[in-house]
Order: sequence, then structure tokens, then C-alpha cells
Amino acid sequence: MVHALEEIWRVLVAGGALIDLRPLTDRWPVEVVAVRRTEEAGRVTALPQGLADDAAANGAMSGGERSGLFKREREEFFPFHYSWDSPNDMHEYVEQEWADFLGIEDAVWRRIRSLWALADADARVRVRLKMLITRWVKVK
Amino acid sequence: MTVQKDPERNEVRFLRKYADFAGLRVLEVGCGDGRLTWRYADTARQVTGIDLERDDLRIASIERGSGLENTVALTQADSIHLPFRANAFDLAILAWSF
Repeated sequence: MVHALEEIWRVLVAGGALIDLRPLTDRWPVEVVAVRRTEEAGRVTALPQGLADDAAANGAMSGGERSGLFKREREEFFPFHYSWDSPNDMHEYVEQEWADFLGIEDAVWRRIRSLWALADADARVRVRLKMLITRWVKVK
Repeated sequence: MTVQKDPERNEVRFLRKYADFAGLRVLEVGCGDGRLTWRYADTARQVTGIDLERDDLRIASIERGSGLENTVALTQADSIHLPFRANAFDLAILAWSF
């Protein structure tokens, strides 16, 4: 990652900017959403791999700042939703795409299915990721 | 299995809040299937998207909007050996790349 930052620094013009945009592993909420109502069904469980990836990324960016490549200009968090038509669709996706870095306990799955079954016909299931966006500026 | 990613378009809204793309030469590291690229590319001067995954780049190429053929280049490349000269870009985006 440090090498990647050095390469990005090389190809940027003096004063150029780097935008770092990524999700932060956390106990993201799982929600059942309909037009009339949104209910939280529980939280995902962050697995060690996801936490380790975040730590490595944070360490690399801090290292880039310490070594004088980039200066942090501003940053903030914002929500990013993954949304599915049904709990089954969500389950399939989580198993295929997210199994390495998050888990969902059986009790949360039961709650998701229960809320979705009782919700209005337009209900969807979603996970609310916590996104971090940071603007860095090349400093030398 | 149909998933919607960021239906509210928060990601590109915040991206535009953090960078004015007008007239800029942009490098997107980890452009993947172009999901984010195609949401800002129309305002940039030039966009170069790189990714290691050839299949994702193929999808990105298929989903390229009309009029962007001369604006956006998609390249299979590794971020630790960027195949570009020094000072080639005004803005770099690390999108979900770490």
C-alpha cells in the first residue's frame, strides 16, 4: 500500500489531490425498509479480516502523511446502502461476496425475515455501510 | 439475486463535494466495473481507470456511455507499478482500493 501511495504521488502534479474513498468495517445496521417505515433488524458482525484491512489502509495513509507525501485536507463519513428485494437475495449475496469480512448471526437473520414478512409489499432489505472520504493533497 | 448499490447516489454526491472534476485529468485506482467512473466521467477532461481484474474492466467498457470513448481509458494495471509518466494527473481516486 505504501508503494501504491508513492506511485500515486509520482504521477500527480504538484498540488494534485488524492481522494481516498472506502467503507470502514463496523457493526453496520441491517434494515427492512418500506415507504412508510424503516426498522433495524440488527447489526452485522465484523470479522478479523475486515478489521485488519481497515487497519492496514489507515496505517498506509498515515504513513504517507508522516513521510511528507500527502497532507490530509478534509474528511467525513457518509452512508452507503446495499439493498435487496428480499432476505433470500441478501443472504445469497452475503454468502458469495462478504463471507470473508463480515458475518450475520442467526438471530439477526430471523429478525430480518420476520420484519420483512410483516412489512408492506414494497419492503426491501438493506445494509448501511459507513463510508469514509478523505481529500489529501500532494505536498512536495 | 439483484443488489442495488447506493441507490441514493451518496457516493458520487460526496465525491463531487470533494473534487471539482471540470478540466481535470483523473486517475481512478481500482475502477472495477466502472460503477463510480461513469457517474463523474462526463465532467472531467480525461479519466484513466485502472484495475487488476480484466473481467471487471470488460464490464466497465461495455457500460461506457456514449460520448466518453475519447475521454475515458481503461487499463489493466497494478497500483504499485503505474504505467504513467510523472505529473500526468491532477487528481487520483482510490475507490474501495485498500
